[in-house]
Amino acid sequence: MPSASSFRPVIGVKRPAGGVCRTFADKSSAMPEAKEGAKGPNMEQQEHVSEEAAKMAKMTGGEGPDIEGTGTPVQEILAGDKEARKQAPQVMKDSIKAGTGAQNAKPATGRSFSTMARRRAADMTPGIDESAGLPPSMLPTADQRALYAQEQQPLAPQPVQEEKKGHKFPLPALPLPSNGNKDHRYDPVVDQITNLLMRDGKKAVAQRNMAAILSTFRTAPPPTYNPLRPLLPGAPPASHLPLHPVLYLTLAIDSIAPLLRIRSQRGAAGGGVALQIPVPLGLQQRRRTAFTWILDAASKKRSRGSGKDQFALRVAEELIAVVEGRSTVWDKRAAVHRLGTTARSNLTHGNRGRR
Amino acid sequence: MSSSVCLRCFKRALIPPESSSSLTTAHRAAFSTSPSLSANPPKKKPSVGKTQGKSQAKPGKTLRLTKNKRVQTGRPPAPGERKALRKRIVLSNTNALDVPGLENLTTENVKDTGRLRELEGRVLGFGEDTVDAMRALEAFKPGQGWSLFKRPAALVRKDMIELGEAVQNAKENNSVARRVVFGERGSGKSVLLLQGMAMAYLQGWVVLHFPEARPITNAQTAYQPIQTAEGETIYVQPHYIAGVLGNIAAANRGLLNDLRLSKQHKLPIPLQSNISLTRLVELGARDPQLAYPIWKAFLSEMTAPSQPEKQGQLRPPVFVGMDGVDHIMRMSAYLDTDMKPIHAHDLAIARDYASLLSGKTPLPNGGIVMAATSASTRPAVPTLDHFLARKHAETHAQALTTIRDALLDQAKTAKSIQDIDLTNLEALTPASFPPPLALQAQNLQYLVLRFHDQNASLHSLRKYLHSFAPKLPEWNPFEAMDQHVADVMQTGVGVTKMEGLSKEEARSVMEYYARSGMMRGAVTEGLVSERWTLAGGGIVGELERGAVRARF
Repeated sequence: MPSASSFRPVIGVKRPAGGVCRTFADKSSAMPEAKEGAKGPNMEQQEHVSEEAAKMAKMTGGEGPDIEGTGTPVQEILAGDKEARKQAPQVMKDSIKAGTGAQNAKPATGRSFSTMARRRAADMTPGIDESAGLPPSMLPTADQRALYAQEQQPLAPQPVQEEKKGHKFPLPALPLPSNGNKDHRYDPVVDQITNLLMRDGKKAVAQRNMAAILSTFRTAPPPTYNPLRPLLPGAPPASHLPLHPVLYLTLAIDSIAPLLRIRSQRGAAGGGVALQIPVPLGLQQRRRTAFTWILDAASKKRSRGSGKDQFALRVAEELIAVVEGRSTVWDKRAAVHRLGTTARSNLTHGNRGRR
Repeated sequence: MSSSVCLRCFKRALIPPESSSSLTTAHRAAFSTSPSLSANPPKKKPSVGKTQGKSQAKPGKTLRLTKNKRVQTGRPPAPGERKALRKRIVLSNTNALDVPGLENLTTENVKDTGRLRELEGRVLGFGEDTVDAMRALEAFKPGQGWSLFKRPAALVRKDMIELGEAVQNAKENNSVARRVVFGERGSGKSVLLLQGMAMAYLQGWVVLHFPEARPITNAQTAYQPIQTAEGETIYVQPHYIAGVLGNIAAANRGLLNDLRLSKQHKLPIPLQSNISLTRLVELGARDPQLAYPIWKAFLSEMTAPSQPEKQGQLRPPVFVGMDGVDHIMRMSAYLDTDMKPIHAHDLAIARDYASLLSGKTPLPNGGIVMAATSASTRPAVPTLDHFLARKHAETHAQALTTIRDALLDQAKTAKSIQDIDLTNLEALTPASFPPPLALQAQNLQYLVLRFHDQNASLHSLRKYLHSFAPKLPEWNPFEAMDQHVADVMQTGVGVTKMEGLSKEEARSVMEYYARSGMMRGAVTEGLVSERWTLAGGGIVGELERGAVRARF
């Protein structure tokens, strides 16, 4: 899960400070002098397309174009040069030694229980070449695998607190954490999604729905990942998800969350056409957009049963469909990203100025 | 002279509702003055003529709102399918971890009371056999959280051990224990009933169970009047009884297969004299019109004296359970011919259960009649509430009376007030008494200690102790008491109040949750204490809600 970022970049290029610019009507022959360190109008060019694609791929966890051009990768040099291998940094030596191509990574198999469970009929699964396997970016790193395996072990109940030094319960560690209050009682994703589930201000109903969604995650068979729809990099093995429903929810929401939205600026393109400007979204907004799409998709489904929890069940099914790559929400996300790519030239709209 | 019975109603009453609903032919009154609602739709006008009225909109120019059109995709759910999905009982979660070292409730554990005592405070699973039988009796209920764990398991509580002792006692002495369990919502009444039935089943008892009393009285099944031998009118519910008989046959099949008829019964159909009881019960389950006579025959077979020397004439002890018993302790929703509500005890099946609970129907081979109230679907039952409160207070009042009597004895013989032993009095915890007694216990404790501190005379202490008597809840004389209910409750029925778990028990349950992988995080003393308090003092249902379902 990406950490909440307070930094939000400003779109467009700042105009140079007043006074430095020389207008066409300026008669004085003295050329204005730029301030020390100030940047001129053409000094901040946009990045090359492939550079931008590489950055985007890095964010989404894919492998972008090779921006280093025709350079030879270090690994290839090392493979051929024995001397260079000796001098190589420790990290590279380790990776060579361990042979950690991501292909070798396997989820830890420390589960004592069977995962034989109901599987969906073969015709319902989207066409996946089983032999292809998951893209390397989706597989967890060694550290993450160790962490998940550790989490998977049922925590042994700790002995009743043995030392009591005059306090019934141990004193809290000081300083108190800044989030140690009621507003941070629940996981931030659960909190936000509960509020988005809420209708007519009925929070208790929303909380019950949230509990039903998480219970569905616990009891539904583990999802099957779809290599065509890569989730966030470093997603845990699918079999770990049912026992960690909050992670399940977070993975689904964050994987589907769009990076940007399209702002339509009327009158900017001329001719009555709205100019479409991509705007990057913050973490909360990304999650909100993603969950709104999921709610839209879920409300179009039909309930199979009757009773109070049907809505929650439909939302849970849609979230599972997201993780399994069956959901139509993926298309929505791809469409927004595609539009963002085509409209990226409009980013400089503010810079061009109006006549 | 016109008849007092409307002939059309009479005709309709002849067809039981269950059968009429399944009939395909439409029933229609022979004559009706009301306009027909199912008239043919008006004919569509022939093709769109441009010259016809202006109101005719041109195709393609109307506002078509797809949201206003209901598009039927796929097969609509069959009748009852959606409800079946809602009421489905799932007893296993393949994702949950298998708890290592989870023991089962076995016959050996149950037979030995000492062994059962050792298991107090531990979570025990149910064996596959037991689960099947209990499932057939509908003892597992939706919404109890069984679907989250690998297999069904429940905590061994103090009340369960007492129940296990009662089962042993009934088996050895051929005695009957009659008991009503009440308590807060989620306090474990239904699960205690389930554990009781499981213990009885494991020891070879016949288990009869009414999983819900509500459908007996809420006028949802067909009923018909019959005359009893005493000339009273009672009402039988053929379809409901047939369902119960089906459950009984499914759950006790192994036992009833070996038992044969011992009496001649007056039944509408001829029967072989030596058929097994399974066969008898199944006959009733198959044909609702036979269900009630067969239920009576089955009950009389079960209450016949056991003759182990004759083949097939052994009669094991019987466990009779009912959940949501408050629904049959009031007027039912059925109406009699005078349009007056029928009391639930005039419905045949509820009447039979009530007579078992009151001891009017004896169980010569021993048995347990147990009822649990329902706190989530609670009807207003003032008479039952009064007797439950009074009997509950009586058990506590006894403790106060013993302490008072002990003090009085000492006051008679002692030389001065300082010689009196007050340890029992000081150990008294008034907060553990039900509300009206708590204040009295507090007063007793406070005043006697005051007498002691002030070195008062023995005479004044004796005078106070003589005047002290525990006050029990009294019935408000200005309200009418439900005599049917009072007759049942005044016959020595025991009551048990389900209290919250202790912190040790709560810890044991929470460890089970953590080991199943359903609760994340370490089970520490602080967490147990927090959850116990938030669960209203260890109400187990709330504990599960707070620790497993709502805690993320």
